[in-house]
Amino acid sequence: MKNKHYKRKPGDFEIRILNSGKVIMITPDEALMEIARVVEPNNCALPPQMEIKDVGRPTSKTN
Amino acid sequence: MNDMDSVAHKKAFERIKTAREALANCNLCPRQCGVDRTAGEKGYCGLDDTIRCFRELVYYGEESELIPSHQIHFAGCNLRCEFCVVSEWNEEPSAAEEINFDDTAKKISERQSQGAKTLNLLGGEPAVNLHGVLELLSRLDSGIRVVWNSNMYYNDIVDKLMAGLVDVYLADFKCGNNNCAEVLLGARNYIEVVKHNILNAVKNADVIIRHVVIPGHSKCCLKPTFEWLAAEIPDVKLSLRGNYVPPVSATSAPKEYLKPDDMQCAVELAGNMRLKLVK
Repeated sequence: MKNKHYKRKPGDFEIRILNSGKVIMITPDEALMEIARVVEPNNCALPPQMEIKDVGRPTSKTN
Repeated sequence: MNDMDSVAHKKAFERIKTAREALANCNLCPRQCGVDRTAGEKGYCGLDDTIRCFRELVYYGEESELIPSHQIHFAGCNLRCEFCVVSEWNEEPSAAEEINFDDTAKKISERQSQGAKTLNLLGGEPAVNLHGVLELLSRLDSGIRVVWNSNMYYNDIVDKLMAGLVDVYLADFKCGNNNCAEVLLGARNYIEVVKHNILNAVKNADVIIRHVVIPGHSKCCLKPTFEWLAAEIPDVKLSLRGNYVPPVSATSAPKEYLKPDDMQCAVELAGNMRLKLVK
């Protein structure tokens, strides 16, 4: 394991898994939020399934 | 509330020229870099006059009265918060794609038809992208509630050119004193500037003060913030956020996550001061 921490670059996504088992997705895009919804369907910060249809792909180069 | 009506569109259009002219000797924020962004020079925020967007999406994690909220993330910021979760885009805004205003305006309509209740202008920081924000607002053809999701660290020209175009100021109040602000945010005179702009915002539109609870900064940041709100604008809405993410290579920012007790104490303190908490 490297001693130096990795620094996020534009276009990266960061997911942290804490000792408690909690998973943190840092500023996810829609695709990552959809994954999060599947993992944790009752999280109110995530889009409800019925409303995520036909949202299209985000236009930025991050995706 | 204007909900971006036709008068607001016209106002936005008329102000673009003034906003662009301000870039020639940029003093949009208290950094007062004085660079000529129209000639390709870049100041502290790293922006010339090109407007770049690094993400747009419908987000459900904002305050309940704002969701579903269509977020437009402008690249570039005039703060360097050590705990920023999009710092990579603020340090390197030129990595983001240049915005296409017409396409983005169409996207805003699409997102509205998909259920978005608000248009959420954020970053980075929208204030240092002022002329781009106005360009975008001038192109909208349907009423939508406009949310100015800002660090509030900007000069009066921003306030003047956005007056009447904002329905909700989602206003960060990050630190309760200038020492913490200088260390954590890299900002001088933070308190004076942010208080001034928040008081102006309250005169013009609905305001939600957003405070991220920072571990270990209860006495120095959270309490003074609450005290000021209680004394000056006791009826303002306050949103406490428990989503502090410790940076992996922090030098000054706390390295631990917020504990549930910390959040509970913050909520209780707000309640004791009769502040109007919103979720």
